[in-house]
Amino acid sequence: MEDLPKQHYTEAEKQTIFHGEFMPHINSMYNFAYRLTLDSDDAKDLLQDTYLKAYRFIESFQKGTNAKAWLFRILKNSFINDYRKKSKEPSKVDYQEVESYYNSEEVDRQITPDLRVEALKDMIGDEISNALNALDVDFRTVIILCDLEGFKYEEMAKILDIPIGTVRSRLHRARNLLKEKLSEYAKQMGYKTA
Amino acid sequence: MSTPDPSKMKLDCPEKNECLKMLQAILDGEATADQKDHFLKHHLEECMPCYKNYHLEVAIRQLLKTKCCQDAPQQLVDDIKAKVIQNLAS
Repeated sequence: MEDLPKQHYTEAEKQTIFHGEFMPHINSMYNFAYRLTLDSDDAKDLLQDTYLKAYRFIESFQKGTNAKAWLFRILKNSFINDYRKKSKEPSKVDYQEVESYYNSEEVDRQITPDLRVEALKDMIGDEISNALNALDVDFRTVIILCDLEGFKYEEMAKILDIPIGTVRSRLHRARNLLKEKLSEYAKQMGYKTA
Repeated sequence: MSTPDPSKMKLDCPEKNECLKMLQAILDGEATADQKDHFLKHHLEECMPCYKNYHLEVAIRQLLKTKCCQDAPQQLVDDIKAKVIQNLAS
């Protein structure tokens, strides 16, 4: 992922790396692509572009290093460069603005949703998936990387090209926002929040 | 972590937000052994809001994992493999 010296692989080695180290992550990668684009056709294109790119730049990958993080970073960059622009979503609020808003201590005091475990147990449909998809893509991303894929903060910092402190705070805000959405569903389901 | 006795627990936590950050770090595997030990063995036993928060965080993570992961369609996996083999040949 870093600027490692370029590797030299034979065609056979390339194949081994591709099938042995890249392909095993295809389901996680598809899920990431789908959660970013929120469209199965776009997700397919993004995944295919990413794997072809990974193959083309295979000599920037050092055998035995973290292939999953390397692939996720390529996918995230492809998404930003190729998909975010043409995205059908209305133009985004300035991200800096959002982040500084959610980083203010004020919000911590406001967002303390009293969501109960019992309410979550009844969310057997798409509630959690919809709640996750409804988050701004930057918040959605950190939850996917951490909670679904189990990346460490340091790996996330590298995948997203942000400082580790930002990973930590963005994740904290993202979880608060997710809980807020889930409490709305809980309320609709008839759970009273205290 | 044992099940604490609710009658002996604090009902309010002055450090609730800091505690939430700590317990997220613990669940993310990013806390030190000392922090983990102190928080899970001592604080949670005596603090109701943090005890509840802990279980809520765990439940959300479980729900995310069971509901928000989907596999790539097999056709797509096959297409990608085929395209790479084509690339090799060219």
